[in-house]
Amino acid sequence: MALFGSSMLAVSIVVATINGSYGDHILFTIPGPEMPEWLGGLRFGGPVSAEGFAAAGIRGLAILCIFLAFGVFSGAVSPYRVLRITPGALYYASLVLTVGLTLLPSSIEDLRRIREVRALRGARSGLRELPSLVVPAVINGLERSMQLAEAMEARGYAVSRAPGRSARFAAAASAPLLLASAWLWFYNSSGKPAGALCAAAGLAALAWWFWKARRSHAATTFTAEELPRSQVVTIVASGVVVVMIAVARAAGFSTLGYNPFAGLQMPGFTLAEAGLVATVAWPAVLLLRRPALASPPDAPVATAFAEGAP
Amino acid sequence: MTLAAAESVTYTYPRSLEPALADVSVHVRPREFCLLSGPSGGGKSTLLRLFNGLIPQFHGGVISGRVTVAGFDAIRTPTRQLATVAGMVFQSPEAQAVAETVVDEVAFAMEQRGITRAEMLRRMDLVLAEMGIGHLRHRRLATLSGGERQRVALASVLALEPAMLLLDEPTSQLDEFGAAALLRMVVGLQATRGIAVLVAEHRLERILPSATRVINVVAGRAMSLAPIDALSALDDVPPAAGLSRLLGLAPRLTLEETRAALPRGLAARPRSDATPGDVLLAVDGLAVDLGGQRVLRDISMALREGEIVALIGQNGSGKSTFFRAITGLVRAGAGSVVFPAAGRDQPRSTREITGRAGLVPQDPSIALFRESVRDELAETMALRDGHRPSASRVAGTLEAWNIAEFASRNPRDISVGQQQRVAVAAMLAHEPRIWLLDEPTRGADRAARLQLAGRLRRHASCGGAAIIATHDIESAAQFATRVVTLDAGVVLSDLPAREAFAANGPHPTQVARLVPGAVALDEVVFDVAI
Repeated sequence: MALFGSSMLAVSIVVATINGSYGDHILFTIPGPEMPEWLGGLRFGGPVSAEGFAAAGIRGLAILCIFLAFGVFSGAVSPYRVLRITPGALYYASLVLTVGLTLLPSSIEDLRRIREVRALRGARSGLRELPSLVVPAVINGLERSMQLAEAMEARGYAVSRAPGRSARFAAAASAPLLLASAWLWFYNSSGKPAGALCAAAGLAALAWWFWKARRSHAATTFTAEELPRSQVVTIVASGVVVVMIAVARAAGFSTLGYNPFAGLQMPGFTLAEAGLVATVAWPAVLLLRRPALASPPDAPVATAFAEGAP
Repeated sequence: MTLAAAESVTYTYPRSLEPALADVSVHVRPREFCLLSGPSGGGKSTLLRLFNGLIPQFHGGVISGRVTVAGFDAIRTPTRQLATVAGMVFQSPEAQAVAETVVDEVAFAMEQRGITRAEMLRRMDLVLAEMGIGHLRHRRLATLSGGERQRVALASVLALEPAMLLLDEPTSQLDEFGAAALLRMVVGLQATRGIAVLVAEHRLERILPSATRVINVVAGRAMSLAPIDALSALDDVPPAAGLSRLLGLAPRLTLEETRAALPRGLAARPRSDATPGDVLLAVDGLAVDLGGQRVLRDISMALREGEIVALIGQNGSGKSTFFRAITGLVRAGAGSVVFPAAGRDQPRSTREITGRAGLVPQDPSIALFRESVRDELAETMALRDGHRPSASRVAGTLEAWNIAEFASRNPRDISVGQQQRVAVAAMLAHEPRIWLLDEPTRGADRAARLQLAGRLRRHASCGGAAIIATHDIESAAQFATRVVTLDAGVVLSDLPAREAFAANGPHPTQVARLVPGAVALDEVVFDVAI
């Protein structure tokens, strides 16, 4: 995943180069055809500016960071454990997600085996070979899901009652209410009070469903063991950072955002904000300290992320 | 008293013309241990699924008749409700796990029921101990062997304390050791818990001595038999029972009883195998390292024209790696693989090598994707030759593998056993001289095993050669001319089949233990003069 993130960074910079860019500090100019005006700014070649490079670099780094953060997070916090602490109302949604996660590695393994069998049958590798890999992989994936569904059914999955009709109606009604409220609030200057009303109604409907669904979910949990404290801290810290960054931006701390086109300057630096951002790397520390926390086969991967993390 | 009953049930799968079950009536009493036998595709799985409502509720289709389980109408009561009455374990260990660790997996079904934590704890300790997997309780499922995973699946079903256990060929994807362990557990359960067990299984000898009844399902029709009668009536019986039948004696359940009942005057007339010809494949000092471990060391063997070598060894002994190293799927650390017929123009890539030595890996049907069996064979020929094969060539291959009857059907719609046959035929459709088969008889019924043995012998007599990796000694004795035993990556022995399968050899067959000098049934003669 780190590799994929890095390649995205490279792609971002290359695209910026080909595309050319605006800015005061022109580094060099790539000869390219003049594109007609109506193509709306799409360009090939042309002047390449330092600002453009900086912007592309930042974009790429953002993508890389997302990948690293996701890798480290999933290495440090088991999705199965997260499933266990989700509220009862969301149990089935998260179960579907977790089962999907379990099927993913087996699908990748399927693809590898199909490729091998094809090679044994004398197929040459190449683009034309793609359908003969993908088609059986998809069919196998579907068959596997059906088998799993059958096995889950046979073991009494979802035997507890579904929430009543009123609760389900409330859940369905909440979506249009919330959409309407957003439209009224942002796009209709005189609609703010109505928007707020709609939002309140939508949230109330959602809360009603949540409460009902939770009560009708009769399943119990076997593992009394709480989420390990380190993992709780990881989840809480990640949440806090998000809120803090939002607050910092709203409060006008500008160094978190950097606009290269506003004139190339050294980005500002304040200790508080740097500390805030560094908190995101907390799970990496966790993994380095106790690599065994993650599942054994995942551990090497996870540690690799940790080393590459900021 | 009846625990479960199917009465005059006729069932047809959706988009199918033929009924999968035709007027089937089966009654299961409490504490009964029923063995479901019959060829693959005969309707065993379908019959099992009646009793927990998966048929018709999950699969759809048209059903008539009545099915009751512990007082519930199984056709209408939701499967998820029936889970506490009839627990089911499926073929594939991977396709029935929901959770990450053993404990979570076993707890899953109980959690769905809303069983209290104290009760869950009690049942958890009990079922883990019963299945002998207490030491695995915090392990991740992905790190367990197939046999261990099937025991976890069994434990998670037992945790609901069902009155009846339905096992759908639970051993078909396990090795000999894992299968034997699982079936021992099942036999033990019936004794301790006193629950009714219905188990579909190809290898009769493993559980027949414990079974109270055999239900034979052929072409959608079920027939109930006493175990001892099953040995007389069924097609697919262990060789010892086959020998008794050949001699006109009543078959016995154990080898000792069979031996005691045998008449004097039995002699062996050993099959004469053709003298091996030129060397087709020479492996010399082959060594392979995987993940820093040496999995094969210093393997040398020459495969000659007309030879069929059985490569026998436990899981993890390096059989598959040996094949993969020959065909270039893994890199050999040392040694050489030479095809003398190729002269100076030795094949290099996997594509070139498999042109001479076709490898059929385990579960080859995974890569089938054409619309028809015929297209699937033509695909391999086209991949090899670069042009579409003639219709007559494809027809000849279909005939040779005895799959012409479903040539126009989609390989995904035929039974698992038939699919396996098609897959093997597709992998070898380009007719290489050397065949390398990895566990071709695993989960195969008698018809499939016989068919393969015949095909192998014909191949050898036409100047071909083959190496077959297997644990299945009785099947291997049908076709092998030579036996190589592999253990922990080393060749333990390399013997002519006659010595390897003999009573004092490394892999004695049932017949060898009963009639000295013979290894398979067709070698036994009754000599009155003695």
